[in-house]
Amino acid sequence: MSIGGSDLDKAISQLRACRPIPENQVRELCYKARELLIEEGNVVGVDAPVTICGDIHGQFHDLMELFRVGGDVPDTNYLFMGDFVDRGFYSLESFLLLLCLKVRHPDRITLIRGNHESRQITTVYGFYDECLRKYGSANVWRYCCEVFDYLALGALVTGAATSLPPTSAPLADNANPDSFPSDDSEIEVETLNAQGEIMYRYARNSDSQSSNPTSNPASSSPIAPTPSRTGAAGTGATSSANGSKSNDTGAVLCVHGGLSPLIDTIDKIRLLDRKQEVPHEGAMCDLLWSDPDEIDGWGLSPRGAGFLFGADIVKCFNHRNDLSLIARAHQLVMEGFKEMFDSTIVTVWSAPNYCYRCGNVAAILELGEDGSNAGFVRRSNGERGGGGGGWILGSNVDGNGNRRLSSVLGEGALGQRARDGPGRRYRVFEAAPQDSRGMPAKKPVADYFL
Amino acid sequence: MTAKEIPNLRELLGPRRGGLSRDRGRGRGGPGSPREGAEALKDNAVRGTDQDAAGSRASCVELGYLHDPYAKLFATQTTTRRLPLLNRGTYVRTSAIDLLVDKFLNTSPDTPKQIVSLGAGTDTRYFRLRDRYPETRIVYHELDFPTNTAAKLASIQRHAQLHEKLTSKPPPNPLTLDQTATSYFSETYNLHAIDLRSLTSTTDNVTIPSLPNLDPTLPTLILSEMCLVYLKAATVSSILQTFLEKYLPSPTPVSLILYEPILPNDAFGRTMISNLSTRNIHLPTLLAYPDLGDQRARLRSYGFVDGARAADTEWIWKEWVTEEEKERVGALEMLDELEELEMLLRHYCVAWGWRDGGGEGVFTKAWDDVAERR
Ligand SMILES: [Mn+2]
Repeated sequence: MSIGGSDLDKAISQLRACRPIPENQVRELCYKARELLIEEGNVVGVDAPVTICGDIHGQFHDLMELFRVGGDVPDTNYLFMGDFVDRGFYSLESFLLLLCLKVRHPDRITLIRGNHESRQITTVYGFYDECLRKYGSANVWRYCCEVFDYLALGALVTGAATSLPPTSAPLADNANPDSFPSDDSEIEVETLNAQGEIMYRYARNSDSQSSNPTSNPASSSPIAPTPSRTGAAGTGATSSANGSKSNDTGAVLCVHGGLSPLIDTIDKIRLLDRKQEVPHEGAMCDLLWSDPDEIDGWGLSPRGAGFLFGADIVKCFNHRNDLSLIARAHQLVMEGFKEMFDSTIVTVWSAPNYCYRCGNVAAILELGEDGSNAGFVRRSNGERGGGGGGWILGSNVDGNGNRRLSSVLGEGALGQRARDGPGRRYRVFEAAPQDSRGMPAKKPVADYFL
Repeated sequence: MTAKEIPNLRELLGPRRGGLSRDRGRGRGGPGSPREGAEALKDNAVRGTDQDAAGSRASCVELGYLHDPYAKLFATQTTTRRLPLLNRGTYVRTSAIDLLVDKFLNTSPDTPKQIVSLGAGTDTRYFRLRDRYPETRIVYHELDFPTNTAAKLASIQRHAQLHEKLTSKPPPNPLTLDQTATSYFSETYNLHAIDLRSLTSTTDNVTIPSLPNLDPTLPTLILSEMCLVYLKAATVSSILQTFLEKYLPSPTPVSLILYEPILPNDAFGRTMISNLSTRNIHLPTLLAYPDLGDQRARLRSYGFVDGARAADTEWIWKEWVTEEEKERVGALEMLDELEELEMLLRHYCVAWGWRDGGGEGVFTKAWDDVAERR
């Protein structure tokens, strides 16, 4: 049989109900997906508006909650930064659903590879066992692993707006409107809860907030996470010292882990041979395993793979590649997202109450569309979805359309001011309600080593 | 979660093997009472978990985290590889307690010493210590619920490497055990089948159970690894009063090492409590002593007036484990769950307190230089 058209829609609705599809359909789906993915470069180009998501880890019901909060495919354009599988109970259903959506709406969903999309890691962290349990053989696991090898290593989002349009969204109960910027200021960051109510809002300005990117008090409340960024707007990034327009934002690089000492330009990522199992070391490994840390330069990673990298590395890389932001996943953050290094890098985590144990909230990051983006050719067949999930900047914004898909090398001295970051709307959500999880008779039980 | 992970969860229940049974109280809800059915089910679940604690230790040993030739002898199931996070946690907890025990045994090594392990389950420490300290006279006591002591004795009997260590007498070893034995006593190893709550002393008139071979004068280290945490705070206090005043009256030097969860009030802690309560597991002392300061105060209140220290296991990993050892352990497995591991480790602590008169007291000498989290 072939999976396409109505078969595909049938598979989607079956998977949406958290029911696995037959093995022959998985084979067909994986084949189709590979045909699609093989055409993508190592770094996929994605146009804003886009909703960027972090780790899912087989938490299927929380993925459904994510779609509820962020909008459905194809209405919302999604970018998932890997780690679809392992740890949770429903890696299979989660990954296959995302893959079906990819095949069905290739231009409305982008999947890049996480360090768990690997044969070795999935045998340790659960996906292999889950496939064996659900199909009685490792065939499905093998099909999926073949798809993993074709997933892109990163994505480059262009055309994102620098500021958020004013919304009429209601305020959350626990919001403090007095702390909100005035109506005429440019909104750089907004945090909404799962009901779409505004919890925090920050203006882009040069001195009203103190810059303290490290202060990220661990919130004890999953309901009202402390904003992880504290005054990125105060970094001077928006001063008009060089006369740049305020909506002149660089591209956003999305990658699962982070940077590599072997990679100083995005073009070098493009040159990698990605169609293989994730190696134990080297550039490809680093992109999927590394973490930002409060250090200078590079450090050894306690994970045993990848590296730690400091603010200087990020700022230098962003400058060299004309990026305004790196979005990455890979690390659990209790508040769902965490901006670091003067908002030059953000961690987005999309698995609430990770492993049914951690008590964290999850987040997704929405980047709006720069008004100038409209005329830009989409990367594939040009089909545009409904766009209902995205948000369009008002026409008053003077987009300059200055896109920077190619890296800009050696332009300007280091220390030149960074590009303005894109306007960032975070939607924060909690784990799907217990009763909607449709858990099997055996309830999930979290591990506690005792 | 994966088949591999399920045993990890059960490992949690492992130490409970004493806990739930103790809670149940052997006299309460006699045979045939409505309670009995549900309790028996729980007991079965608990019994089924006992092997998993041993399995976790075996996983750690197999991967090279710990050296323990005895772990696999108590694991009747084939060893299932545990998640790296759990292996690391088991490693930190075991090596932290080993460090304190080693320092105790290395202080005045010619003096006999006594160790009392509460809710010991399938713990292998006695056997490891016999290898490590062949010259030191150690009187070792393990207290646990009869189902667990019986299972342990059965394992011991199956393996010559184990039962040849039960006495210090030279071979041929006269050990023969009754099939139904639940307790065992020798001059060096004692397995007491006992409900810990029978050690509470409410009035002076109540006679406390006899613990054969428990020497009232030897410097004694009491160990509770996830054991007392399942009892009410007042019960724990009373049990320790019995030890400190009756079994081991002053001036006998006595110390206590606790391994327990802490921080019940943050997101992780609240989730832990709610996850466990759906499984009918309650950790009363976690709520009674939420942080490290509370743990220290608690130790002092029991009468450990010469020292009362505490550190969470994340800090212990960072501060007690040498860089060289960290590198060795870190290289054993790729560990992806780093943030989770740190959070998990932060929610468990080792607390240790002692009463020995200070100065030249054996515990003061042994532990004075062991840093705690300030
Ligand atoms: Mn990851």
